[in-house]
Amino acid sequence: MEELVTLQRIGSRKKAENWQEAIRRAGELLLENGDIEEKYIDNMIESVRELGPYIVLTKGFALAHAAPSAVVKRTGISLINLEKSVDFGSSNDPVSVVMCMACVDKQSHIEHLQKLAMKLMEEGMIDKLSKCETDDELYKTINGV
Amino acid sequence: MAEKKIQCVCGFGCGSSLMLRMAVDDILKKNGLSADTFTGDVGTCLSNPCDVIFISRELAERIVDRASVPVIIIENFMDSNEVEEKVLAYMNSQ
Repeated sequence: MEELVTLQRIGSRKKAENWQEAIRRAGELLLENGDIEEKYIDNMIESVRELGPYIVLTKGFALAHAAPSAVVKRTGISLINLEKSVDFGSSNDPVSVVMCMACVDKQSHIEHLQKLAMKLMEEGMIDKLSKCETDDELYKTINGV
Repeated sequence: MAEKKIQCVCGFGCGSSLMLRMAVDDILKKNGLSADTFTGDVGTCLSNPCDVIFISRELAERIVDRASVPVIIIENFMDSNEVEEKVLAYMNSQ
């Protein structure tokens, strides 16, 4: 099995008061793993301020990302669910599952993201992810083990 | 008839637009249709030659007045029913 998201980049029942904090909680996992510099988290939040909450791709799910840049050290993907959902100002609110993606360029992560997208589009997947109580449960659900 | 070029657009052309492009590819394949799909970012998408742009509502506002090709708004990038309906409606209108 190929890991879609590694265990150290997964966080369950994270606490966030608002969408900015939700993005920050997901981004911190990439920061802790050395994938990004802190500035990338600011960039992700800034991009929602500027471009709107289009990153809320489906009911309850946001894919936070910013442009590839020098503050991305290596391509990484993290996944969290929230103890309490937050609103992004999107028609797909409230959001309780946040994925954070950092990529070094526009190409190298495509195959990986495609596999991830297939997984996320499975019937009921976001709902399942939102209900996971532990990191391990989240890990198993997203990686299909 | 030449293959239609479908551009899927998000903020940076590398995250959500890719999800959308996959959904579009999936539907084309399922329906035995073929088109050239690619991703773009909202800042430069209007200078990429294409026949149609698929984009989210929030971002559409930024380009719709200047676009010379149809701009189709997708509310939910991961809702295959919505994407299917809109892709087929476009393909059938051509």
